Amino acid sequence: MSELEQIGEVLWEIPAAARPDMRVPARVFADRELLAAIERDASLEQIQNVATLPGIVEAALAMPDVHQGYGFPVGGVAATELPDGVVSPGGVGYDINCGVRLLGLPLTEAELGRRRESLVHEISRAVPAGAGKTKGRARRGVELDRVLREGPRALGASEDLERTESEGCLPGADPGAVSERAHERGAGQLGTMGSGNHFVELERVARVFDERAAEAYGLREDQLTVLIHSGSRGLGHQVCTDYVKRMDAAMRRHGIELPDRQLACGPASSPEGSDYLAAMAAAANFAWANRQAIADAVRAAVARVLGRESAEGTRQVYDVAHNVAKVERYQGRDLLVHRKGATRAFPAGSAEIPEPYRDVGQPVFIPGSMGTSSFVLAGEPGSIELAFGSTCHGAGRRLSRTGARKQVAGAELRRELEARGIVVRSPSNKGLAEEAPLAYKDVERVVEIVERAGLSRRVAQLTPIGVVKG
Amino acid sequence: VFRWVGHTAELELEIEAPSKEAVFGEALAAFAELVGNGSGPRTTRELEVEADEPALLLAEWLSELVYLADAQQFVPERIAALELGEDKLRATIEGHLGEPRPLVKAVTLHRLEFRPDDTVGWRARVVLDV
Repeated sequence: MSELEQIGEVLWEIPAAARPDMRVPARVFADRELLAAIERDASLEQIQNVATLPGIVEAALAMPDVHQGYGFPVGGVAATELPDGVVSPGGVGYDINCGVRLLGLPLTEAELGRRRESLVHEISRAVPAGAGKTKGRARRGVELDRVLREGPRALGASEDLERTESEGCLPGADPGAVSERAHERGAGQLGTMGSGNHFVELERVARVFDERAAEAYGLREDQLTVLIHSGSRGLGHQVCTDYVKRMDAAMRRHGIELPDRQLACGPASSPEGSDYLAAMAAAANFAWANRQAIADAVRAAVARVLGRESAEGTRQVYDVAHNVAKVERYQGRDLLVHRKGATRAFPAGSAEIPEPYRDVGQPVFIPGSMGTSSFVLAGEPGSIELAFGSTCHGAGRRLSRTGARKQVAGAELRRELEARGIVVRSPSNKGLAEEAPLAYKDVERVVEIVERAGLSRRVAQLTPIGVVKG
Repeated sequence: VFRWVGHTAELELEIEAPSKEAVFGEALAAFAELVGNGSGPRTTRELEVEADEPALLLAEWLSELVYLADAQQFVPERIAALELGEDKLRATIEGHLGEPRPLVKAVTLHRLEFRPDDTVGWRARVVLDV
């Protein structure tokens, strides 16, 4: 793209003057190689579309793992100024508060020994992919509206709460703003993983880059961890569906015209805007409770296979959201920061970080593709200066699901992973093929870019030894 | 007829059909192909959706199928009856209760299209989040 200008070592800009409808520039964090990959799909056009949103400030941002989405690209960050800047449900995405939680187990891979396979199998039995026949295993008997208002607190007191972004509860959540259908979809799905790229993985800490931060996070080399990737399930999908429709219908009234209908938005202060924010907060709280229920199920599996002591010693490192809109304050202004496929990464000293981590920065988890490394990062001051307190969220897809299936046979991939000593539990070879490593960008490169950009730094590298897919 | 076009984050469904009504039938067949598997107790569902343009009506129609699959484990198979008005659609769908593949999260408005076509009758396009 000729209008791309390099404005930093790993930062590129398309000036606002590139298109008459852009209100701010569009910026991309990448090196030349990642940029070449990014230019192959519609991400750059989509991030320019985001730059047209009413009330957007400074720039529309794309992280190095950005890829084409619908409306917003996946890996996008946009901040609008409150009270009248817009909120866009598509800027959060359908899987509201999709996110990642990391648990640290009190033992090493060597100490686990031959019980590895039993543990992975037990976890796969404890964490159902979805409703249906397996519905009985989802968490029942919890009042759904309480979950929507309070998040994981509704499942009981837990020391995990303080080690969860926003303590697992966004303010202003209103179950009344969540439709009957969304309630119905969410009712049987608490404690279920979902399908697609969601997973629970057993990982080993393969390398520590930052001893001090790793120690604060309770991580050491060779330690076992469990990485949980899931979101708000059908409840969140329905909330987004309902409000994209409502915003789409209300845009003419607000005099808003957009280059892509899926960017549908309304002023945060409008009835549509405030109802959406109340429903989104409820869905976000549901997602945190969902990951809590999954973590509880993992601990129960650990207790069955390794004993109660191991389960009691399984500590939550942190839980981060990577699809959410949050009110945050930058340079004296209240902004609504949309992160769609991007993670909050506050630096050391932030009052939003749990006290034990405050000197080293907020933990961030970047899952790689299935069977490859994942990373634990810590937030750096550059995130505040350059990216509204944000960093990347994953490897970023490179191939479509059908494209991946054309190149990889699921059964072969399963054998390959098992030959590398990774225990695989997945109901479908087709699903496995769709998530094959070659369908994704190289996570190590993505992480290197956010480190060079000063958004976050590497703390530890995790390698999988067991994969449970939905 | 319908075909799937895969993108990095989503699936694009392209439909060609001789009539407006047939577009909705093709959309159902495409959705069933995506999520359907196995068999189970046979059942029917009555559907009614409203929207002030055909493209939105199509998005709503598919959203209903996503909801029925996710909340009620309903796998659609065929349309038993369909009544299509300017801004309303009523239908009876036959299918079964099973374990639909939980692949489709939602129906987006991105690149949504529904238009007459001289050669095939009607063309439609809808992008699903998967």
